[in-house]
Amino acid sequence: MRIRIHGPHKCATVLATMRPLGKLLSLAFALAAALSGAAEPRPIVIWGRAPGPDEKGFETVIQRFEKLHPEYVVRALTMGAGGMNPQKLMTAIVGKVAPDIVYQDRFTISDWASRNAFRPLDDLLARDAALPNCPKAAQYYNAPWQEAMWDNKVYGIPSGVDDRVLYYNKTLFAKHADDLRAAGLDPNRPPHTWSEVLKYSKVLTEKNPDGTLKVAGFLPNYGNSWLYLYSFQLNGSFMSPDGHTCTLTAKENQDALKFMKDGYDLIGGYGAAKNFESGFQGNENDPFIVGKVAMKIDGDWIINNLARYGPTLQFAVAPPPEPDDRIAKKGAFANEKDADVTWIGGFAWVIPTGASNLDGAWEFIKFAASPEGRRAEHEGFREAERRRGRLYVPRLSAQIQTNDLILKEFTPADPRIQAALHQHVALLPFSKIRPATFAGQVLWDEHVRATENACNGSMGIVAALQAGQDVVQRDLDAYYRTSSLPVVDLAIPLFAGLGLIALVVLGSWIALKRLHLKSLAKNNAKWAYLFISPWLLGFIVLTAGPMLASLFFSFTQYNVLSEARWVGAKNYVDMFTTDKAMTAKTLLNVIYLGGIGVPLSILSGLAIAMLLNNAVRGMRYYRTLFYMPAIVPTVASAVLWTWVLAADPNKGMLNAGWRETIGQWMNLPPPGWLTMPEYTKQALILMGTWGAGSGMLLWLAGLKGVPTQLYEAASIDGATPRQQLWAITLPQLSPVIFFNVVVGFIAAIQEFDRPYVLLNGQNSPSDSLLMPVYHLFNSGFRYFKMGYASALAWIIFLVIVGLTLIQFVLAPRWVHYEADA
Amino acid sequence: MSENLLYVLGTISNWIGWVLGVWVLIRLVLLVMPGSPSNRAAALGGIAAAAFVAAIALTIGTKLPALDAASHPPGVRLPLVWLVMPFAAWIAAVAIAMTLLRAAQALTQLTGEVRRAKSISALIWAAVAILFAVFYRGGSEKIEVLKGGINLSWGTAAAILFLIVAGGAGTRYAANRAGSRGWSKAILTHVMLIAGSVIFGLPFAFLLITSFKEDRDMSSPNGIVWVPKVQQTVLYMDPKDPLMQSEFKGRTVEGAIVKENGDGTVELEITRPASMRGLSAELPKSSLKEIPKPIPLVTGQLNGRPIQGKVVEELLDGQRRVVVTRPAELAGQVHLYKPAEVEPVREVGLRWQNYTEALEYLPPETANGLVYLKNTLIIVLLSVIGTVLSSSVVAYAFARMKFPGQNVLFALLLGTMMLPGAVTLLPKFLLFRSLGWIDTLYPLWVPAFFASAFNVFLLRQFFKNIPAELEDAARIDGCNPARTFWSVMLPLVKPALAVIAIWGFMNAWNNFMDPLIYISSPEKMPLSYALQLFQGDRQGEPGLLMAFATMSMVPVLLLFFFAQRYFVEGVTLSGLGGR
Repeated sequence: MRIRIHGPHKCATVLATMRPLGKLLSLAFALAAALSGAAEPRPIVIWGRAPGPDEKGFETVIQRFEKLHPEYVVRALTMGAGGMNPQKLMTAIVGKVAPDIVYQDRFTISDWASRNAFRPLDDLLARDAALPNCPKAAQYYNAPWQEAMWDNKVYGIPSGVDDRVLYYNKTLFAKHADDLRAAGLDPNRPPHTWSEVLKYSKVLTEKNPDGTLKVAGFLPNYGNSWLYLYSFQLNGSFMSPDGHTCTLTAKENQDALKFMKDGYDLIGGYGAAKNFESGFQGNENDPFIVGKVAMKIDGDWIINNLARYGPTLQFAVAPPPEPDDRIAKKGAFANEKDADVTWIGGFAWVIPTGASNLDGAWEFIKFAASPEGRRAEHEGFREAERRRGRLYVPRLSAQIQTNDLILKEFTPADPRIQAALHQHVALLPFSKIRPATFAGQVLWDEHVRATENACNGSMGIVAALQAGQDVVQRDLDAYYRTSSLPVVDLAIPLFAGLGLIALVVLGSWIALKRLHLKSLAKNNAKWAYLFISPWLLGFIVLTAGPMLASLFFSFTQYNVLSEARWVGAKNYVDMFTTDKAMTAKTLLNVIYLGGIGVPLSILSGLAIAMLLNNAVRGMRYYRTLFYMPAIVPTVASAVLWTWVLAADPNKGMLNAGWRETIGQWMNLPPPGWLTMPEYTKQALILMGTWGAGSGMLLWLAGLKGVPTQLYEAASIDGATPRQQLWAITLPQLSPVIFFNVVVGFIAAIQEFDRPYVLLNGQNSPSDSLLMPVYHLFNSGFRYFKMGYASALAWIIFLVIVGLTLIQFVLAPRWVHYEADA
Repeated sequence: MSENLLYVLGTISNWIGWVLGVWVLIRLVLLVMPGSPSNRAAALGGIAAAAFVAAIALTIGTKLPALDAASHPPGVRLPLVWLVMPFAAWIAAVAIAMTLLRAAQALTQLTGEVRRAKSISALIWAAVAILFAVFYRGGSEKIEVLKGGINLSWGTAAAILFLIVAGGAGTRYAANRAGSRGWSKAILTHVMLIAGSVIFGLPFAFLLITSFKEDRDMSSPNGIVWVPKVQQTVLYMDPKDPLMQSEFKGRTVEGAIVKENGDGTVELEITRPASMRGLSAELPKSSLKEIPKPIPLVTGQLNGRPIQGKVVEELLDGQRRVVVTRPAELAGQVHLYKPAEVEPVREVGLRWQNYTEALEYLPPETANGLVYLKNTLIIVLLSVIGTVLSSSVVAYAFARMKFPGQNVLFALLLGTMMLPGAVTLLPKFLLFRSLGWIDTLYPLWVPAFFASAFNVFLLRQFFKNIPAELEDAARIDGCNPARTFWSVMLPLVKPALAVIAIWGFMNAWNNFMDPLIYISSPEKMPLSYALQLFQGDRQGEPGLLMAFATMSMVPVLLLFFFAQRYFVEGVTLSGLGGR
């Protein structure tokens, strides 16, 4: 292990600068400190999981680990990066300041691993194979272990698992016992097959007099099933075995999606179901607990809530209903041995590339995965729950033995919960996982979109799947094409750039020599160059150099962690072909914000300035007040506006007002300003108008600059105030208006802080707030597509330059500059 | 559709009727006041005509069956209508309205020239209308008509009408008389300014008040709570579950003992500071000190009598154990209450704890947010120094010195003014990465030392205005250019430097994107980024969030109040405003 000398070293530096004589002394001191510094614990930084009231188990693991290994101290980040923003994680890994451990959703591991962002653990596993606490594949269920692998290498040690089973409300079954019998169904058992579950659902579904749902028998995608589950049950897959082809349109997936659609159509359609779901609440009002949903497929995480909030709920669990042929062992399933199939997800411990405390990280992961660590987790959590007077419901582990332990020692006495846990564990060996592909996130997003489009009938089943498949396939193709692209040695452009700079400097120097300046002029010039050197240096290093670099990168595919590949103009072509929908969207957003928001803020700013231009008392205070919104930090004002714009009229200021006025007059419910795509831009414009004070001062200065003689002359001629406004004020102000229009449009293109803070870094609904620079930021720092982002940057640059030039060209036609200005 | 159309037309007619009616009333009031215009008869004629039109419009607007359908409480119903339609349709609608307006003006104008101008304008608007109507037809979206109305009781309607008429007539009357013209205008301006101030100030009021509210006031079905109340508490030494104070990891912690280990140590479950809430600490028993805990006061009923008491224990099943404190004869009795049976005692007041709790919630390594403040101050200070120094040096050279290539370089400098920061975002990241500057403060302030084009441009104008004699005198005294710049020229542009410094301050303080990209560990975060993260972490607690937001605003606002002059001047200086 390395000795930590960071602290003492700093001290030594300080001492050395204090007194040169003390150098020797400080050296000795540093040495001593370094030797004793071995006792100082090294931090292990963990992202993605933070201790807290609901993570008492994790906290216990940390405490036991620290006792066992006093040479380490575990730092689980609570705020910020601890919240696991993928952009932050990627930036930290790329920036070589990665955390030591990340608690990562397993199905995304392959995505990160394919970009070299995570470190393969095979060498560590091999090294410690003989040690008793070293994780081994055999200790784990196959599915979660496979899920943490990519390219035949192990990237993560799985921690928990969550398989899906059918939960059903026995009280509702008993209530409808006669109806169920009449339909030829047994009210004392859950449905086993797809056709059965639909029949049960039909009987158990109740409707209100107005036709809306009162009780839903079975909502195919409520709880946690997704198309994945139904497809897995048909032995379907979303990816070809080699991972090169997306097979979303395969027959099995079509059939699975058809089953989901049938399930919705049966109870009144997808739209009706979604309306019904929008009224669902949590905790004690959970729809399953209050009997609004008779059957649902869900994971083991809900048992805890059922125990806490539904102490009297008569529920039971069963394997999820399977396709009829699978149960009957007919057709495609004639030779199938597993009757039940479900799917799982869960998290894993991974070590990012460049973790500074690799030894500590691995030691911690080993401990957390060891039987001892596992036991500590459950003991600690159970103890905390007991103190709070709650039942402890353990979460399942990806380790086979740990689940035995859980069932033996940590399962509560409640028979309902015991049965549920046993059922969950029993199904684990038959669980399947989402395919390990680097395009896992895209595949997930697209399958969700396809499910929605097919179920609500806006697209046919095949068309919906095909649309998703195309998007995923494009990413797959791009990835597998990468290896065939020429690698670019980044030293070449670097040296080319340096050479270019040298050439310019040399050229200027020769040109200077040629001028044969007199000594005085020469001296003056020397001073002048010295004076402008900060800017010149900054221009070369921070402006011109980066711009050229960005131009170069725009022709490459580069994610920083892998080598750059030359792709020619592909990034630019993509922007206007495959990604044209996205490009058009950002452009339209700019036009909307610039075309409506800018004139509005100009109007309000001008109106206020005209009011303030009157000589009345207390103008200073008014001016201060109107200007205040413009000077408060953007982040602070955006944070404020998230609450002003909050959708709940009990909480949000704007909607509280809306409910009292428009809500009553027009019978319109208050809108979700930040959640409904048709309102997000209005929200931003509203906020921008509030900050119109920034322009106001400019207007005020402009108004004060209008010569008063003009107004006097006009009044003598009998001009009305309105005529004066049109004939004098506005023409005189036209340069300011012009300036504001230019600046406003350019600001709309660069809009970033406000949407980011308002939406808490999430993507805006339907990308309705995706502005060009935001898009650039996402491409660059969220996905690290440096090449594509650079191409975007250049397009943005050209648009801004073009915009500015056009406006300057058009300006003389209508902008009034005073002749003697 | 036809019924919708009738509703729209009826609504417009209704409003025309009301506006005209109010106008008529104002004119009538003015007529009866002293000093009215001479030709009363002519004025009366006009008013009568308007009143006639208003009556017809109102009749149409209220009697149309389409409008009358909705049953409404007795009183006045002002119908409202809103069209949900695509943008193109809106433009077409506006253009149609403008066409009609211009056509009407063309018909009523007297001079041929004006008439021609208005006709041309009408034609242009008509063309626009047709263009966008065609464009709209190309789309598939249908127009949706939202119908509604404002219901006013007779009393309210009369009061509003009276206010409008009295106010309108009053101001008009005052404005027509030389003696009162000035103050009538001033009052009007003040009224409008105050109205504007309220609108602009509301979000700030919301911010401040929310930052002092208790959780239970955050959400209210009766509208936003504008008067914060606080729960009244009394201090109590709990014999059953004492609150303990001790030191843990260098911080003072409070909590309850949850376990006694045999070896003289105990396990303390921490309740404060909030950032450590829920954590368990193993501490020697001797280090613990019992402190009183604040417990809530409640009111309830005991045998039909109202009582006040303090909640000494909350049982696991939700019941409260209450010790009666008032009235005196019942004091000391202990009773169990269900949560619904007792009402907390709350009085108007400010919950300052939101501020301390917001700070307590910050990660322990940030010393209650002081580290954020320190980082921000470092960035701000260095940025301001860098900006002022580098910009003034460069500007001076461009303004007062002659050197080969000056014009080319200055053109280059001007060119970078319109360069969006986005273009260099990624390469800069790669540059700073290769320097090992990720997760350090350097990327946030070092660039400030390389002079921004805008500041140079601004300062250059200032240096240019300084008479050359001063410089010559300094040179004759033997100053080299550096000394001339520092001792003679720089002091002369102090106001401009102040402006630049303030801009530098604001930019550095508000900078969000750079910390977002470059900083990941809590010890290096500036306030702006910390606030955004705090927002993500404490989404359900607006009180704490608003308190933190307020605190992050205060320094900027203070600067603004003390240096307002420079803010205003800065805008004037930026070239386009003033001349």
